[in-house]
Amino acid sequence: MSDVAISTRGLRKTYRTLRGRKVVAVQGLDLEVPAGGVHGFLGPNGSGKTTSIRMLLGLVRADAGTMTVFDQPVPAKLPEVVGRIGAIVESPKFFPAFTGRKNLELLAEAIGAPRTRVGEVLEQTSLGERGNDRFRSYSLGMKQRLAIAATLLKEPDLLIFDEPTNGLDPAGIREIRETMRGLGEQGKTVLVSSHILAEVEQVADTVSIIGHGRLLASGTVAEVIGGGTAPTVKVAVDNHEAATRILTAAGMTVRADGNYLLVEGAPDPADVTRRLAHQELYVSELVPVRADLESVFLELTEGEGL
Amino acid sequence: MIRLTKVELRRLLARRLTAAGLVGLFLITILLLVATYFEARPLSAAEQLQAQQQYEMAHKDWVDHSAENLRLCEADWAKQPDPKPKLEEMCTYPEPRPEDFGKPPTIFAEIMPELLQGSSYFLAFAAFLIGASFFGAEFSSGAIGNWLTFEPRRLRVYGSKLLAAATGFVPIAAVVLASILLGTFVIVTRLGDSSNTTGKVWGDLTAIGGRAVLTTALAAALGCIVGLLLRHTAAAIGVVMAYLVLAEGVFAAFLEKAQPWLIKLNFDAFVRHDAQYYVTECKTGADGSYLCDYVQKTLSFEHGAWYLAIFTVVLVLLGGWVFHRRDVN
Ligand SMILES: Nc1ncnc2c1ncn2[C@@H]1O[C@H](COP(=O)(O)OP(=O)(O)OP(=O)(O)O)[C@@H](O)[C@H]1O
Ligand SMILES: [Mg+2]
Repeated sequence: MSDVAISTRGLRKTYRTLRGRKVVAVQGLDLEVPAGGVHGFLGPNGSGKTTSIRMLLGLVRADAGTMTVFDQPVPAKLPEVVGRIGAIVESPKFFPAFTGRKNLELLAEAIGAPRTRVGEVLEQTSLGERGNDRFRSYSLGMKQRLAIAATLLKEPDLLIFDEPTNGLDPAGIREIRETMRGLGEQGKTVLVSSHILAEVEQVADTVSIIGHGRLLASGTVAEVIGGGTAPTVKVAVDNHEAATRILTAAGMTVRADGNYLLVEGAPDPADVTRRLAHQELYVSELVPVRADLESVFLELTEGEGL
Repeated sequence: MIRLTKVELRRLLARRLTAAGLVGLFLITILLLVATYFEARPLSAAEQLQAQQQYEMAHKDWVDHSAENLRLCEADWAKQPDPKPKLEEMCTYPEPRPEDFGKPPTIFAEIMPELLQGSSYFLAFAAFLIGASFFGAEFSSGAIGNWLTFEPRRLRVYGSKLLAAATGFVPIAAVVLASILLGTFVIVTRLGDSSNTTGKVWGDLTAIGGRAVLTTALAAALGCIVGLLLRHTAAAIGVVMAYLVLAEGVFAAFLEKAQPWLIKLNFDAFVRHDAQYYVTECKTGADGSYLCDYVQKTLSFEHGAWYLAIFTVVLVLLGGWVFHRRDVN
């Protein structure tokens, strides 16, 4: 098995609206999802996340580009790899008048999974008794659980979750997060699209950020954050004027922030203390201001929204 | 494919609309048999007495006046311009018979083909409706997207749904038609006349029933396709209703010659083995008079069979092509 679970090259999709207008949903997306671990798939509303996922699953035809899943070209070889992919695209959709259990039984039979598996996955997702109620009567959280139960029928190696925490309460969100982390730790690949960046930052090993159907940044969370803004340090020092003069002379950017100075462009926080100490200015406090995924995301995707 | 078809069959049978449809078919079957019962029921004693009296009056009138009537008529005939109609055609006064009065007995071999044909209509309609919802609802609920993430081979998915709908309706149609056939036979044997039901009659009836089973299965599959094309059950039913009213109703009335190219007549021709239809034929005579005749024509079984076969193949291919290419959201 190669170390790439999903890769796309030059993926494009243009939708035609009812009035004949063309909407470019994905334009030349090059995506690479490493095998194993959780990969965050981030982008503003309408940036083409769902469309990309649909193309990977063969639900929507790509206009151009190539895709592979576990080294198999899709959609051509999708039948061969689909058994290894569990996916929830947007909100979970099942036969509304059937019970959760009936829905799972039909799916299990369609893929030739043993019927006993249905009870097991219902237990695993703590649906238990509610499995015997109609899908229509489920709350959003239960629908989400059922969808996860359905993906587990296949015992997949790759899980694709499109905004799985949409509309869930904090407990539900945490549960999904733990599920994803657990799957990632088992060595499975999880591709999760989301808007909630703090959320993704907590679980994702790697991320891709897209805007207007194009890749903007990709890598480990640390790389992406580091690659965005230069590290900033927050410094407490007595003489603001003198400190600003010294640091600016060293090529750094300095801004006042209340009782602190915000220093950007320092190759290393130690540089700041060293230069000030040389001039007998002593730093009483120094905090590196960590950029977070959110600020990087907002910076990268500025003006990329709908 | 076989496994998928089995799953789809299970889904078909688990649907509430299917259950409701089965209850509906059961009720219609009962209703038809009850109607046949009332139709075949002999007259009551009072009604029989009345018929007897009417016969006696008519007979007396015939005894008293027929000779005179005949004479008057013959005189009239002599005055007719040439070419004269035949004398027997114009002037016959047959003696009234008792069986001409009151109700003639119901004859099994005569009523049964009509009944089977009528049953084939409501079976086809129910199958179409259930088929349309079977596939259409998957699009309106979005469940098809999830289904395709389990089985992405679209043509298999498509084929399994059509096959399940069609095969699911074979036993249903067979049971309904057999109940109507045997129920009517029992009723007519007791109340009317089924004595001259020969082996050939049974053979013909079985053939009509068999073809009605086939059209029901086809209607279920075509319902699936229309449900797929329109993505909603209600839209599919609306289209069928519009077709029945506009094409089969209004259009066929204005353009009688188009009937052989509409579905209903071909359906009839297939199920009944030939079907009659009428067209108005007008021509200007030698003397300049404009005459219109209502002429009976026959549409052959072969025409109906080919028509239905081609219609089905075209729709199946169209549906497969659309489903194969469609973006599922
Ligand atoms: N069926 C469709 N017909 C026409 N346009 C569509 C269709 N589906 C999506 N689009 C358009 O394609 C673009 C990308 O949509 P997509 O759903 O992929 O975005 P997304 O990144 O998933 O957004 P969100 O975060 O809001 O879910 C949008 O402009 C959307 O309006
Ligand atoms: Mg989306």
